[in-house]
Amino acid sequence: MPKPFRRTLVAALISAVAATAASTALADINIGVSVSATGPAASLGIPEKNTFALLPQTVAGQKVNYIVLDDATDPTAATKNIKKLISENKVDLVVGSTTTPNSLAMMDVAAENETPMISLAGSAIVVEPMDAKRYWVFKTAQNDAHMATAIVEYMTSHNLQSIAFIGFADAYGEGWYKEFAKIAEARKIRIVASERYQRNDTSVTGQILKMIAAKPDAVLIGAAGTPAVLPQKSLKEKGYKGVIFQTHGVANADFLRVGGKDVEGALLPVGPMMVAAQLPDSYPNKKVALDYVSKYETAHGKGSVSAFGGHAWDAGLLINHAIPQALKKAQPGSKEFRKALRDAIETTQNLPAAHGVFNLSAQDHQGFDQRARVMAKIEGGSWKLVK
Amino acid sequence: MDLQIALLLGQDGITNGAIYALLALALVLVFAVTRVIFIPQGEFVAYGALTLASLQAGKLPGTLWLLLGLGAAVALVEIALALRTRQMRRIPSILLLNCGIPLLLGGILFAIPPATLPLAVQVVLALMLVVPLGPMVYRLAFQPIAEASVLVLLIVSIAVHVTLIGLGLLFFGAEGSRTPAFTDMSFEIGDALLQGQTVLVVVASAVLIVALYFFFERTIYGKALRATAMNRTGARLMGISATMAGKLSFTLATLIGAFSGVLISPITTIYYDSGFLIGLKGFVGAIVGGLASYPVAAAGAVLVGLLEAYSSFWASAYKEVIVFTMIIPVLLWRSLTTRHVEEEE
Amino acid sequence: MIRMKFLLAFIAALAVGPLLLPEFYVTLLNYIGLYAIVALGLVLLTGVGGLTSFGQAAFVGLGAYTTAYLTTVHGVSPWLTLLAGLAITAAVALFLGSITLRMGGHYLPLGTIAWGISLYFLFGNVDFLGGHTGITGVPALSLFGFELKSGREFYYLIWAVLLVIVLATRNLLDSREGRAIRALKGGTLMAEAMGVNTPRSKIVIFTVAALYACLSGWLYAHLQRFVNPTPFAIAQGIEYLFMAVIGGVAHVWGAILGAGLITILKQWLQDWLPRVFGQSGNFEVIVFGLLMIFVLHRAREGLWPIVLRLFPAQNARPRVADAEPLPRRSLPERGSVVLEVRDATKRFGGLVANNAMNLSVRAGEVMALIGPNGAGKSTMFNGISGVDPVTSGAVSFRGERIETLAARDIARRGMSRTFQHVRLLPTMSVLENVAIGAHLRGQRNFVHAALRTERVEEARLLHEAALQIERCGLAEHMYDAAGNLPLGKQRIVEIARALAADPCLLLLDEPAAGLRYLEKQALGDLLRRLRDDGMAILLVEHDMDFVMGLADRVVVMEFGEKLAEGLPEEVQRNPAVLEAYLGGVE
Repeated sequence: MPKPFRRTLVAALISAVAATAASTALADINIGVSVSATGPAASLGIPEKNTFALLPQTVAGQKVNYIVLDDATDPTAATKNIKKLISENKVDLVVGSTTTPNSLAMMDVAAENETPMISLAGSAIVVEPMDAKRYWVFKTAQNDAHMATAIVEYMTSHNLQSIAFIGFADAYGEGWYKEFAKIAEARKIRIVASERYQRNDTSVTGQILKMIAAKPDAVLIGAAGTPAVLPQKSLKEKGYKGVIFQTHGVANADFLRVGGKDVEGALLPVGPMMVAAQLPDSYPNKKVALDYVSKYETAHGKGSVSAFGGHAWDAGLLINHAIPQALKKAQPGSKEFRKALRDAIETTQNLPAAHGVFNLSAQDHQGFDQRARVMAKIEGGSWKLVK
Repeated sequence: MDLQIALLLGQDGITNGAIYALLALALVLVFAVTRVIFIPQGEFVAYGALTLASLQAGKLPGTLWLLLGLGAAVALVEIALALRTRQMRRIPSILLLNCGIPLLLGGILFAIPPATLPLAVQVVLALMLVVPLGPMVYRLAFQPIAEASVLVLLIVSIAVHVTLIGLGLLFFGAEGSRTPAFTDMSFEIGDALLQGQTVLVVVASAVLIVALYFFFERTIYGKALRATAMNRTGARLMGISATMAGKLSFTLATLIGAFSGVLISPITTIYYDSGFLIGLKGFVGAIVGGLASYPVAAAGAVLVGLLEAYSSFWASAYKEVIVFTMIIPVLLWRSLTTRHVEEEE
Repeated sequence: MIRMKFLLAFIAALAVGPLLLPEFYVTLLNYIGLYAIVALGLVLLTGVGGLTSFGQAAFVGLGAYTTAYLTTVHGVSPWLTLLAGLAITAAVALFLGSITLRMGGHYLPLGTIAWGISLYFLFGNVDFLGGHTGITGVPALSLFGFELKSGREFYYLIWAVLLVIVLATRNLLDSREGRAIRALKGGTLMAEAMGVNTPRSKIVIFTVAALYACLSGWLYAHLQRFVNPTPFAIAQGIEYLFMAVIGGVAHVWGAILGAGLITILKQWLQDWLPRVFGQSGNFEVIVFGLLMIFVLHRAREGLWPIVLRLFPAQNARPRVADAEPLPRRSLPERGSVVLEVRDATKRFGGLVANNAMNLSVRAGEVMALIGPNGAGKSTMFNGISGVDPVTSGAVSFRGERIETLAARDIARRGMSRTFQHVRLLPTMSVLENVAIGAHLRGQRNFVHAALRTERVEEARLLHEAALQIERCGLAEHMYDAAGNLPLGKQRIVEIARALAADPCLLLLDEPAAGLRYLEKQALGDLLRRLRDDGMAILLVEHDMDFVMGLADRVVVMEFGEKLAEGLPEEVQRNPAVLEAYLGGVE
């Protein structure tokens, strides 16, 4: 018993020491990344993780290292990760994390260490209201409110007056419901039911029956990835004929694979990236979006791209845009460089990215406008732009 | 809530309850025979469903590698034992059973693209891949400590569960899968459709329960298991090997689990970690039956299914809270009615 | 002494650690400390008490959420929220414990799984607790006006709390209450017969374990300054148990070892396993699961005993200090009836094990109960001592009806017993085993024990135990592990334990079995002395020479009924008895 164990312990110690010793040489720019590549948010985190490998290794003559860690959708792990990245890897900036709770947990550490952080999470509370902590925090994913507005606009223009909501019983579903409810109320759309379900529930019949009984004009499913199939399938089975909205969280290939013909006809707001090829050439970020899609699909196969990888790509674009300006002010690895990087990101103007065009300011650390989302429809097993 | 909704919810509850009932029966069986609280039961549900889904997608299911690995491990342990006790004659049969059959299965999967086979054959293949894992797990994890306390067995059971969950993620990935329905039949009830698959789940569960009843009442193996459950020492004196009974009960439990998975995978999406909560709901049913009574356990499980369906209608966000809190009044009731009898360690 | 030095070195290393280590290692040590606090509760519960819980993470959550909510929404001082958290946790633990602990040992873990899952979902769905997104902006702790903002400052708080708890737990275990708790693992039968209120002991350790978890959660919330439901899910509850089991579930230091090992191993595996498997996932659980199975198969005590072997124990033996003797019970007048059994009947389903039995025992006499195997003698003993009460009939002890009382209440009235199948705690010393017998002669509870304010009483109890051991002629084995003694001597330890209760009626179930001739003689002498002191003794024995030489009166049982009663020589001549024993003369 003791021998193999002792060996493991020794190996662990050696690797720990080696890891410290291998701390990267000076002058390189180190970017720390913590994403939820496993756990409940894995289908969001995996494409994000994959994307960092596609980003350029050199910017303005400086080598850029991405140190990517997984936080298993657990805020404790996310906190550990950012502490490790800052103290061990001496990173100049942190990207992460995938989910809102994890980003909130990391925010304190980033601000305490005066390290800029770019979150990939959806909820606006990561960057609003602006305060001393959020001074250091940026965010590339469209605010859930952006996306919710698209649905509300679609509803008003198509004379849909009531909606029923069913979403994940987690931070994703909760964030969506809150944002959507706020905007819907302002536009006089009635929310006639609000239901929750678990990612791996085997049945949502109860929720669906309750929603149908409320006779909504439309249904919104606030879920991500393959688990978003079940409510839509059940709605069809129970004879629901109204409009069904999904969220951008479903925009990946697995959703189409599992959903098959059951998810045909669903409408969803997405970043323009998902339907980039169908956009008019005049669309401001079409070129950037197509560039990312082709890079990702070359590496991971056709149809593999998802909206979430795009957020990671956009974080990369923000960083790459800011690096040359920051380099003028300070050396990488210094406190001044981190501050310069933060300032440069905050002043980003008219930067086309995969999901939209960045115009950041001291008050807006997200920076997208309505060009950052379009409505898409699932037709023939793929995403179609709704014009 | 009108009558139609009440009926539909009832139907949904009974469908899920039927699966929970099957699992509850398996849990009671395993506990009675081996004193193991079989937490990993749920993982076999997921393994069954996802193995079938892999076969249909034309992929080689990861469970094949697990089967080969566990088979080899069992063979090693058994051969070491045979060498120590100088029973060389046993070696060929050990190798054939634990390595030969899995290799043969693997060969079949390599030779014939499984996606082209008829559904029934795919189901049989999936079961053949998953079911032997049960007795192998028993042999490796539980048999060496068969005499340990219920508590130690429970902790090992949790450890096995955690291991299988990790392996499930490795084999099948984080996204879920669904398999095509066995039948496309559907019935109209008012405005809503009643899927043939749903009916099939209930019917198949009922048939399986009846089959189990006959197995226990009429076959020699069934009687041996019952005898072991009633009195381990006595059964051993009568020549019923505890090891045989343990393996048999695990085989049955795994079969029930994997079959349940195959049954529900057309109705819902199954993930690598779906099994845990499904299994635990079977558990709540089994606890209603005091981990001893089969009919009460089955009834309890159906009750869990119904409770789940109605609470998902009334308070969907609190569904799990309601289902798992139900165990508290049950425990309260049991603690007031049963007189505690000292367990001999 | 090596161990002591090592401990001091460990504490010194802990003290200077954060000054030298990089930030990340301090972070890891902080989490190790937090986890170890929870694991320590599990050591108490699982390793010592033989119970277990998978729901400790939920108690951690209770502590964390209580403080997060009260400090952020109502601006309450964190030190007050700690008390609130502990109070809520205690209430929940008491409730859960009271409904599950009365039943078999596996209902508690199953109950805690269910409760862990419900509470997790409840945290996520309650709006005022921030839902799944969680609560941000939990204030930093301040100590004497000094804010503990950085991980390094917090480190000292966490480890100070942990060391205090380790100390308190060790104190608790090394006390009268601690022995009662440790006795739980050997089954509740013996503990109850020695007067231990076992349901209470179980609830106490379950509650203490929950309170530790709550404390860890409170620290977590103020370290992390953010809470959401994820860290309190059932998976974390399982991980806590893994830490305790792998570290060494029966040792307080095992908790720290386990927490450290699992935390570091996890960190390391998360770096390496994805490279092995070529994809990312929480694959470390595969390794943890296999490691658990391996540990439970091959080293059920966990890794701490293996570590201990590297540091051999010092040879110096503890000494039992002289102490004021415990007050003694006034014995009933010699010749008065102490025990009276009237028409006692015991049925097991359709089987009648005792049928209308009558017998009486007087102060200052040895009454022997004999009969062939299966005659119902041990059943009669269990009926008298309340371990397994009679179905009908009356049992009077010192003039009081006792047939409906619990075993521990009968013990309190001055009856003590030994068991046919020896019920000692094999890893505890003979001294500690015997001291369990004196349980009812002390009053100080577990709070006193944790704070060490019961040392005077403890010394008196140990002194009494030592006296009884010497009286039974086992002084040389006083500090040996009871399980290492030959079976015959273990029976004598049982008698010493029964004597430590200062009984006026002693029930001995086959005390001479397995003894050699000289030992039997010594036992006979001991029992005669006890009788002469005025004690009443009822014994079951098969060794006829021993019985006939010792007993004043004899009751013969057959098929659950009394066959004969009288002086030894009368009984020996009784034809019915001869027939029962010799199969009759045709």
